[in-house]
Amino acid sequence: MNAVKSYLIVVPAYNEEEYLPQVLFDIRESNPQADILVVNDGSSDNTPQIARETGVKVLDIPFNIGYGGAVQTGFRFAVEYGYDFVITIDGDGQHNPYHTNRLMDIMEREQADVVIGSRFLEGNYRIGIARRIGIWLFSKIAKLYTGVHITDPTSGFQLLNYKVFSYLSRTDNYPLDYPDVNIIMALHKMKFKLAEAPVKMTEKPNGKSMHNGFRPLYYILRMTLAIIMVLLRKED
Amino acid sequence: MAFSVRGFIFLIGIFLFILILELVRRKKFREELSIIWLFIGFGLIFSSFADLVIDPLAHRMGISYPPALVFVIISFLLVLALLYFSIIVSDLKGKNKELSQKIALMEYKFSKLYQEKE
Repeated sequence: MNAVKSYLIVVPAYNEEEYLPQVLFDIRESNPQADILVVNDGSSDNTPQIARETGVKVLDIPFNIGYGGAVQTGFRFAVEYGYDFVITIDGDGQHNPYHTNRLMDIMEREQADVVIGSRFLEGNYRIGIARRIGIWLFSKIAKLYTGVHITDPTSGFQLLNYKVFSYLSRTDNYPLDYPDVNIIMALHKMKFKLAEAPVKMTEKPNGKSMHNGFRPLYYILRMTLAIIMVLLRKED
Repeated sequence: MAFSVRGFIFLIGIFLFILILELVRRKKFREELSIIWLFIGFGLIFSSFADLVIDPLAHRMGISYPPALVFVIISFLLVLALLYFSIIVSDLKGKNKELSQKIALMEYKFSKLYQEKE
């Protein structure tokens, strides 16, 4: 195999025609060595056309299956085409692709299997109080379980090596909605090494983010159930 | 129980039972999913004679109003039926996801092959 590592940047996108051109431009500028894959999660706007015009690879899921399902499709693509690493970047422009090298540096330095880009490690990122409490609570639980302090478990800005993304590409190993602390705990259970890297995230003017879909109460119930299930399930 | 009421419930049960069999025969309803409804129809037919069992049972359990026991039993059975269908929906959702992901990947492969051929 070639000694040069191959990277696939997976961009899940659902109705992102407004931000996608800029996101793809920034990704290409900052990561010229990587292949870019837009996973169009059943968008009803011009997301797939816009993506194709920029010359990146595009997968069209015939209908909307949810953020997690779209990202997992990207993992499956990466497995099929033999990539070494996957970087996930949301299509709504909240992640700064110029910070991917921070993820790579941390992965190399810490010998980690997965690096999560955290918006809370530096600077102050504003977020709703209910969400902040949820993130705080669940990251504490994750710390108790994994021993690693993950400050931003909902972050969709991640770098994963082959071992991790091939594991998550399997049918029931990734949720359809939003991967969160539960996935972090599941990865720890599978003995993958986790690390975090500081990244800057931009708040969208209209507040629309792929992770804002949860209602706080539902989010807490959903995560509690997911965490209990991770604890109850046997390793696979 | 009055004979007319008994007969009425009995006929409803028979009607439901035949309706389900007919739906399955016309392939409007999958056999494996219809079983649970056939049981419900069967239960309804038998419930027209339920008072013969329920009344003494309710009295023994200290329930002064026997129909309350019937409602409890029916509610429990309906919850089981709903759970059964929720499991099926959940299974279908998972299969749907698998299918849509496979389609997306295959479409990509197909378009690449097509481009190469051109």
